[in-house]
Amino acid sequence: MSLGPASGPAAGAAPLISVTELHKSYGATRAVDGVSFQVARGQIRGFLGPNGAGKSTTIKIITGYLAADAGSVRVAGIDVAEEPIEARKRIGYLPESLPLYQEMRVDEYLQFIAKSRRMERRGAAQRIAEVMALLGLERMKKRLTGSLSKGYRQRLGLAQAILHDPDILILDEPTNGLDPQQIIEIRALLVRLAATKAILFSTHILQEISAVCSQIMIIRDGRLVADGTPAELAAAPGSERDWEIVISGTEEMPYADLDALGIGTPAGSDLAEGGRVYRFRRASELDIAVLGGRVTRTGRRLIEARRATRTLEQVYLELMGVGAKGAA
Amino acid sequence: MRQMLVVYRRELGAYFKTPIAYIFVPLFVSVLALFVFKIDLFFELNRADMRNFFRYVPYFVMVFAPAITMRLWAEELRSGTAELLMTLPFHSWELVVGKFLAAWTILALTLLCTLGAAAAIAYAGDPDWAPIIGGYLGALFMGSVFIALGAFVSSFTKDQVVALLVSLVAGFFLCVVLSEYFPMWFGIRDTNFARVIEQIGVRSHYVSIERGVLSLRDFVYFATCTAFLLALNVFRVQARRY
Ligand SMILES: Nc1ncnc2c1ncn2[C@@H]1O[C@H](COP(=O)(O)OP(=O)(O)O)[C@@H](O)[C@H]1O
Ligand SMILES: [Mg+2]
Repeated sequence: MSLGPASGPAAGAAPLISVTELHKSYGATRAVDGVSFQVARGQIRGFLGPNGAGKSTTIKIITGYLAADAGSVRVAGIDVAEEPIEARKRIGYLPESLPLYQEMRVDEYLQFIAKSRRMERRGAAQRIAEVMALLGLERMKKRLTGSLSKGYRQRLGLAQAILHDPDILILDEPTNGLDPQQIIEIRALLVRLAATKAILFSTHILQEISAVCSQIMIIRDGRLVADGTPAELAAAPGSERDWEIVISGTEEMPYADLDALGIGTPAGSDLAEGGRVYRFRRASELDIAVLGGRVTRTGRRLIEARRATRTLEQVYLELMGVGAKGAA
Repeated sequence: MRQMLVVYRRELGAYFKTPIAYIFVPLFVSVLALFVFKIDLFFELNRADMRNFFRYVPYFVMVFAPAITMRLWAEELRSGTAELLMTLPFHSWELVVGKFLAAWTILALTLLCTLGAAAAIAYAGDPDWAPIIGGYLGALFMGSVFIALGAFVSSFTKDQVVALLVSLVAGFFLCVVLSEYFPMWFGIRDTNFARVIEQIGVRSHYVSIERGVLSLRDFVYFATCTAFLLALNVFRVQARRY
């Protein structure tokens, strides 16, 4: 990953977003329950989790729309609860709900944002033209925002967020409802913007995040359950290793035979070329010669034994408590 | 201040870009004109003043103000733009005052539309202008109380209809219940309690203006009520975050 923390221009400096032990409940629902993380300049941090995990609530607290029950948020060193206006000036925010004033035209809407952001009139006109070009909105300039298609609405939302060229960009499900082509465009844009900014972007779709993010955190029921680079997340926890062995025979081996291999209970098996592939995890090393002998004794052949790296997808499903976890 | 005007301009623009201004304003003016000319003035055309007009105005404003204020916050909360507005670098008071002034401007424009009546009266006779000017100023200031009330109510709900109904009831309370009628109904006229009730209500303060008695006390009353309701609105907007 070229976008790691060390590659940013301000590497080593204080993080632009710093979230500490955040808590927020809605009545009896604990939406956010002790979330802490940081985002440095140059980073794109993916915020992944199923619907209702607490992503939007965390984001609303960072942007100052909601107040936390406990914990603190600093953006560019400014506490959002103590100096809300100063903090908001530094943030560009695309809310999940895509807040457009339906009765305004695209250019009017951006002019309103520019004035809200206290931009000078001349500078604003130039910047609006620039951002509209960047997001391909020029042809839609005179359209009512209420009449735009989902893709253009999303682009306008993004245009609004980056208009004042903020150091901090916070996007709540920015690719929601876009087609694959549009998703690729937005990803490319984010990568380009990331060089000089700290970007936090949430999604419930895994594929989105692995393509652009230098750091990924996964949230479930208001708690972070994983946090790291994609490579760190893909590695098995601790000293454990995942293995895949291919054994001849298309029928799954009976339990007694599997037991005789001394590898524990495999997490699963699938048809593979020449036989079946069995997946399992173990902390100790695997002696392939010994294993081969044991397989031969069951009347089969060991075709292949290899270390497996998990895909992010597998990691995610495991963290969500689906799939292999209970079997191992 | 400049930021407050940004909010004001957007809000005023919204009134003219949506059908609200084009439906409610003509409706208000024509129904009021109907009342004044067909029902009342008809009998007293020889009297060159606008007493009857200003007698109806508080009730019209009581009904009209909620219709223009119902969308102020409710629509932002429904469409999600509240989340944008409250994360832009605005102070809460800039949002509250900007919105209030926009709705108040619509009320002022509407009252301006009724100036035709004043012109007709001027044509019919030689009116005393002081009570007419006082009546307009009184209506405008009394209206600011109802506008501030409606805006405050609107910040509690995503539903404009709920905002409309609740502000109507609240306005009715302020204008009709807290007036000389209340002590009358309960047979406690001329008690101190009755006088306090009357003074809290909007009507007694408007009545003196309607009579052409411009008193500073009444304007102070309207301004204080408006400021109090706007302050509540600011607190409400800030409290939404918790
Ligand atoms: N305004 C609200 N009132 C009550 N509960 C809410 C509100 N907003 C969110 N929640 C609840 O808080 C939890 C987290 O929601 P949210 O932060 O929107 O999750 P995500 O963005 O990850 O889908 C969910 O259980 C959701 O139902
Ligand atoms: Mg969400």
